[in-house]
Amino acid sequence: MTTTVRTSSLLAISDLTVRFRLPDATVHAVTGIDVTVAPGELLAVVGESGCGKSVLAHALLGLLPANAAVTGTALLHGDGAPIDLLTADDKILARSVRGRRIGLVPQSPATALTPVRTGRRLLEETLRAHGRPRAEADTVAAGVGLTPADLDLYPHELSGGMAQRLATALALAPDPPLLLADEPTSGLDRPLVDATLDVLRQRCDNGAAVILITHDLAAAQRVADSVAVMYASRIVEHRPAAGFFAGPRHPYAHALLDALPDRAFAPIPGHPPMLTALPAGCAFAPRCPHAADDCGIQPGLHPDVACHHPIGDRP
Amino acid sequence: MAELTLRRSRMPRPAITVATAVLVSAAAAGLLAPVLWPLDQSAVDLAQTRLAPSWAHPAGTDDLGRDVAHRTVYGLRVSLLVGAVAALVATIIGGIVGGIAGTLGGPVDRILMRIVDTVAALPHLLLGIFIVAMLRPGLGAVVLSVGLTHWLSTARIVRSELLSLRTRPFIDAAISGGAGRLRVLTRHLLPHVLPKLALATTLMVPHAVWHETALSFLGLGLPPHLASLGNMINDGQGSLLTGAWWPSLMPGLVIVIVTLALATVVARWRDRLDPRVRAELQL
Amino acid sequence: MTPTATARRRRRGIAGAGAVVRRRLLVAVPVLIATSIGMFLLGAASPIDPAKQYAGAAAFTATEENLDQIRANWGVDDPLPVQYVRWVGNLLRGDLGWSTSRHEPVTAVLGARAGWTLLLVSAALALVLVTSLVLGTLAAYRRGGLFDRGLRAAAYAVEAMPVFWLGLAAIAVFALTLGWLPAGGLTGVTATTTTAADVAWHLILPVGVLAISQAPWFVLFVRDSVAESLRDDHVLAARARGLPGRTVLFGHAMRTALLPFLTLIGTHLPELVGGAVLVETVFSLPGLGAVTVQAALGSDFPLLAAITLVTTAVVLTANLLTDLAYAAADPRVRLDG
Repeated sequence: MTTTVRTSSLLAISDLTVRFRLPDATVHAVTGIDVTVAPGELLAVVGESGCGKSVLAHALLGLLPANAAVTGTALLHGDGAPIDLLTADDKILARSVRGRRIGLVPQSPATALTPVRTGRRLLEETLRAHGRPRAEADTVAAGVGLTPADLDLYPHELSGGMAQRLATALALAPDPPLLLADEPTSGLDRPLVDATLDVLRQRCDNGAAVILITHDLAAAQRVADSVAVMYASRIVEHRPAAGFFAGPRHPYAHALLDALPDRAFAPIPGHPPMLTALPAGCAFAPRCPHAADDCGIQPGLHPDVACHHPIGDRP
Repeated sequence: MAELTLRRSRMPRPAITVATAVLVSAAAAGLLAPVLWPLDQSAVDLAQTRLAPSWAHPAGTDDLGRDVAHRTVYGLRVSLLVGAVAALVATIIGGIVGGIAGTLGGPVDRILMRIVDTVAALPHLLLGIFIVAMLRPGLGAVVLSVGLTHWLSTARIVRSELLSLRTRPFIDAAISGGAGRLRVLTRHLLPHVLPKLALATTLMVPHAVWHETALSFLGLGLPPHLASLGNMINDGQGSLLTGAWWPSLMPGLVIVIVTLALATVVARWRDRLDPRVRAELQL
Repeated sequence: MTPTATARRRRRGIAGAGAVVRRRLLVAVPVLIATSIGMFLLGAASPIDPAKQYAGAAAFTATEENLDQIRANWGVDDPLPVQYVRWVGNLLRGDLGWSTSRHEPVTAVLGARAGWTLLLVSAALALVLVTSLVLGTLAAYRRGGLFDRGLRAAAYAVEAMPVFWLGLAAIAVFALTLGWLPAGGLTGVTATTTTAADVAWHLILPVGVLAISQAPWFVLFVRDSVAESLRDDHVLAARARGLPGRTVLFGHAMRTALLPFLTLIGTHLPELVGGAVLVETVFSLPGLGAVTVQAALGSDFPLLAAITLVTTAVVLTANLLTDLAYAAADPRVRLDG
């Protein structure tokens, strides 16, 4: 596992905020996110489902529905001037960013694969759209452990694991320098989880960057260089993986790790708050054993943990 | 006739207010017409035939010199009455079929619903024409023609409502508590089904009006001397070729406005229903 | 695709198509029988004496013996089941009976008229499908925009207009006021022969009116389902892969959004047939609509029954075809299911 700090960044997100306007409420999906990803880095964004992780991925690709309001910047560096993903024209995103420079392994591949097309049609179409020969389909598929015969099946004929691997192959086909993998291991059994994670790790070792969005801390521990923990639309702790897993500092991150079967196996009491009704201060305070009066004020992320009473600081 | 598909629509509040006002005044005009503007259905004034719209005759006069605006009010009255009665007949037929399918369930239900699905595929205007032709055109034939061709959606609503109620615990409780079949039906099932039945009937009214209008337009509906919207449009067809465009205009506009108003109000109600029933209630 | 998978799928498809046909027939045949019994009973209950009708104006001068002779020839005094079986037997042998309103065999009437109605209906259907696909998709693509809102408002308004009223309005505007198009008929008044160009010229208004009156339902359906599918997971995923907009729209969004459209075309055909009857009446076209009305006014049971049954059979067949097309277009539908 590499833990070297890199200076050049591939993606620099600052103060990214996403709100959804509903007829009778506002969803605070993502709030004030600051993250940079360097080439070769595997960043794991972890958190319970419904904390805003997937919205983050869709925001970066400009795929949010019309009722979403996005603010902040997300600079994608590469050859030439950096592109701000949040303000770029949809034509530019469609032509030169999506698939080509940022790939997405979508959540729930069962619904993300067009049901009336075989895997081969989908894969060849993607290869062709990015100027690569269609004949490479079998090679790309083999990279994620699919046989040529598997490609001839329609999505509904695939098992959950095969669909997941096909979705991964579709994202990898244009060989993007940045890959957003949204729960790429859900529905897979352990050997397949490990194989998929190794594919992602290998991409990073070859110089590409991966943002792994997952609720599976064990997966993050296996491959991540750095970990960002999301809770109720905010990043509450963002540190190099080794240090994080050795001693998480945010009480929520600590509780998440303690919930793992090979640790204390203790569930976190209570429920995460609704994103339509977030408390004014720290959103974790109602579930936090260390909560105090000052938790009614929103803590900032400095330097790498957003908590008034981080673990390890207390006397 | 055309289906008004105000699907998944969020009707703005002013639209609903306007639509309700239109419906209330249409119903009031229809009901009160004999008191406010008495009309001799057979009155003819050959000195004033085919006059263009003016202050004296806001919608002009027809071939026989009758005031179109005046007759339109009566046409609305007749068409709404016929439509309401015919919708009621359709609801009763549909309620019986749906009731049998929903309470018995099983193979009876499957067979009845297959029949409903396939009858829905029959060209119902042709069936309606056939029924009217065999019974001789007239009020009764029109009502029966609408009733026999428009019961399907009601049958589906009643059936799915009953089937979903059967699985609810309070019905089980009533049955195991020793309540008879009839008692369960009248005390527990009917109260749940009736509101939806009422809505289905209301929704059927414009369909029935449309069907009646189409038959009358073809000369197969209500007696020709009776002012009904379809008859008036039919009469107007003759004057149209002589250059008088107005006799058909107002009755047609009234149909359009009343149908739109009804669709708007009903769409509002439907938004509050559960999706399963909503799908059936496509006006 | 490897040859074995293709061959396996094709074999399954053909075997499955047979099953779909069988299943449809299992319902359609009983329904046709039930419809024919219902119509026959209505005809039998009708207060109209077919013998007098057949004799027409001569009935007033014909003697009672003559009328009895006609009745005996026709067997109208036989028990109803016997009459029914005889009628259906004749129908199945292709003898649709004698039209009392037109004084010629029913098959001759159908042969002369059905083609025009079929032309009107299919031209209108083609026009509706093309325009609703284009307009509905455009509206869905710019959902909530000016075009979308305008199109929907227009669709709701047109939906509330009776087709015959729309037809009269079209005649008033385009034929009488502007004088651009003929008001009715199939050929010009002075024409001695029927030319395709003349017929096409005369069919512009009727086809247009029928298409417009049917369009709202199709336009709104296409618009809603394409708009919805543009937010579907698989469409977002296709966009995330960086596929060109056209590929995403045609290859991914519309492919799945319009599958239900196929079956809905089938279920909407009865509406189209009813509309055609009215449009033919408005524009004095020599199709089945006009003779249907004539037959209804003359209580012409054989002709009316034949038209209704034949149309029903055509609609049921069209439904079967759309079912098969759906099954062929969607690999998820198991034909043998």
